[in-house]
Amino acid sequence: MACPCEIRIAGVPISDAQRLAELAISEVRRIESKYSRYRSDSVISQINAAAGKPDAAIALDSETAQLIDFAANLFKSSGGLFDCTSGVLRRAWDFKPHTPQLPDHATLASLLPLVGWQHVDWDGERIALTREGMELDFGGFGKEYAVDRATALLEAAGVKHGLVNLGGDVRVLGPRLNGTPWHIGIRDPRAPEHDGDRCFASIAISQGAIATSGDYERFIEVNGQRYCHILNPHTGWPVSHWRSVSVLGPLCVLAGSLSTIAMLKADQAVTFLESEGVSYLLSDANGRLIRRTLDAARDPTGNADRSVRKKKKKR
Amino acid sequence: MASAEVAVAATKEAKRKAPHAKVAPRVGAITLAAFALPGVMVSATHADSAPEDGVISAKLQGYKDSQPNLDRIKVLSPSLHVLAPIAGAWSVEASLVQDNISGATPRWHTSVTGASRMEDRRVAADVKLTRYFDRAAIGVRYAFSDEHDYRSNAVAVDGRYSSADNNTTWVAGIGASRDNINPVNQIVENERKNVVEGMLGVVQALSKNDLAQFNLTYVRGRGYFNDPYKLVDSRPRTKNQTIGLIRWNHFIESNSTTLRSSYRFYSDSFGVQAHTVALEWVIPLNERFIVTPTTRYYTQRQARFYFNPVYDPEIGEPYPAGYSTHPPTYYSADARLASYGAATLGSKFEWRIDKLWSVDFKYELYQQRSSWRLGGGGSPGLQPFRAQFAQIGFSRRF
Repeated sequence: MACPCEIRIAGVPISDAQRLAELAISEVRRIESKYSRYRSDSVISQINAAAGKPDAAIALDSETAQLIDFAANLFKSSGGLFDCTSGVLRRAWDFKPHTPQLPDHATLASLLPLVGWQHVDWDGERIALTREGMELDFGGFGKEYAVDRATALLEAAGVKHGLVNLGGDVRVLGPRLNGTPWHIGIRDPRAPEHDGDRCFASIAISQGAIATSGDYERFIEVNGQRYCHILNPHTGWPVSHWRSVSVLGPLCVLAGSLSTIAMLKADQAVTFLESEGVSYLLSDANGRLIRRTLDAARDPTGNADRSVRKKKKKR
Repeated sequence: MASAEVAVAATKEAKRKAPHAKVAPRVGAITLAAFALPGVMVSATHADSAPEDGVISAKLQGYKDSQPNLDRIKVLSPSLHVLAPIAGAWSVEASLVQDNISGATPRWHTSVTGASRMEDRRVAADVKLTRYFDRAAIGVRYAFSDEHDYRSNAVAVDGRYSSADNNTTWVAGIGASRDNINPVNQIVENERKNVVEGMLGVVQALSKNDLAQFNLTYVRGRGYFNDPYKLVDSRPRTKNQTIGLIRWNHFIESNSTTLRSSYRFYSDSFGVQAHTVALEWVIPLNERFIVTPTTRYYTQRQARFYFNPVYDPEIGEPYPAGYSTHPPTYYSADARLASYGAATLGSKFEWRIDKLWSVDFKYELYQQRSSWRLGGGGSPGLQPFRAQFAQIGFSRRF
């Protein structure tokens, strides 16, 4: 994975820790090689290579099928804003900062017809991209899914204290060894280049996951205006309402997809995150913070809905 | 971190401004969809981690059975059970039971009167060593049981392996036992019974709240199966058994109770075929008290060589009809081989006094009648049979 990754395990003998870390890393590698669009032998590359062909339909294994179902759900629940076929827009946008340049409208217009979950034939077993040039990718939830799988494996192996961090998508396994929560720093979206790790907030968690989407991961500046890599699938243009969205949830795959959708939802983000019952920290275009903490995010094991129910009874 | 203060200050402002700050949280569609992904959560059904705490428990069990106008056997058995984790990945379990049996031996056919008295004492012990791996566990067990006329030694190995998502666990086991039989009436001397058995099973999490199990066991026995204390009892020296078991545990989220149901099929080469259905409802009353009502129904078809109380006209009771002219190879009047039905009602009450101590009480009432056989056809002349079982146990974690 092209990002800093970290697995921390505490409270087990050093010999076990090594073995457990390798177990978690091999699970992450498995998911990466299965779903990376950069690898020609991945499931995603096979689906993309067949796009628009008469025999485009590809039968999927159950794990992939469940991830596709999840992607379909994200599309539906986000009002079409989270679209796993929108990656093709990257052909129009070049986020290399030394040659900042906006795409020409003709290129963008030619790519937009290739974006749209509605152009995917998915019957629960076989998938086909119906238009030639269409591309599927698991950005926004693939890496986060790997975080969850690796964490669950460690938990199943008996690890009670630890965390898995894949490029800022973090899920923790219980508190630190001394019983205190982990403090996860939230990077300042406007940190200067020489101090890129500067944080503007810190969130303490003992259970669950946190993921952040922001306009600072990949972007270009043209005429003083920032254009980030999170693209609206309907227009093809970057979002600009929030500098960053961090979501705390019981699962990393949930936190990751919700933070991306919140970025896309613009001024509807708060309402949307409230409806999903998660905690969040938003930084708006002026750098002001909106934060909300809910019990549900601290209760990953049992059931977010149970804690919600309790809360309702009290009222 | 200096910036944390900024965040707190900003939070106060956000609380005032956030438009939905007082709306109770709901669980969204995406949250539910995320939980449906495979392997992102550790399944609640995960069963293979090594125990963290040791447990020592002492139980006292009382058993008493009766037939009309006859109190039969009373058994009082104290037992001790220890589970101790060793070095994280290992555990050792040991138990010791001593039964003191007294009373009349079973009166089978109604027409046989006059019950003889018996006194006996049984000591049984077993030790099991388990090694836990990431997704697997292997156990080795040795068991020993000794009565003055019956001695048994058994060894067994079992293993389990869970899938990467922990939703499926495969189980397999093999075992063997050697029994030495030396009845006090010296009808036989130094008889043996050798049994080997194999078991295959799978435990599958069907959903977050449903767990299913299927086990298939085959038992091959060779040797002395007669009841040495019955004058008229002759059974084959081969007994093969096939047992199938299906369990389904369902957690009811709305009231946090668990329903455990099971069906067991039993068939052996003696011709006995039996079906058992059982239902248990685990109801946590609060964090300390758990009550579990239990009900079980059992129905059995008799062994091919079981005979009804119709006796030989020449030599009479207790010989089966035709014994004097064409004596059959195999015959038995043991009511356990008859056709009958049985029902059990009971309840268990568990009190978790604190983190370390717990007490449990269990009471079961069992009744067996030939008329209760499913579909009728119970063996005639069989006395109803009742048994009561009570247990009190203390356990302590360490």
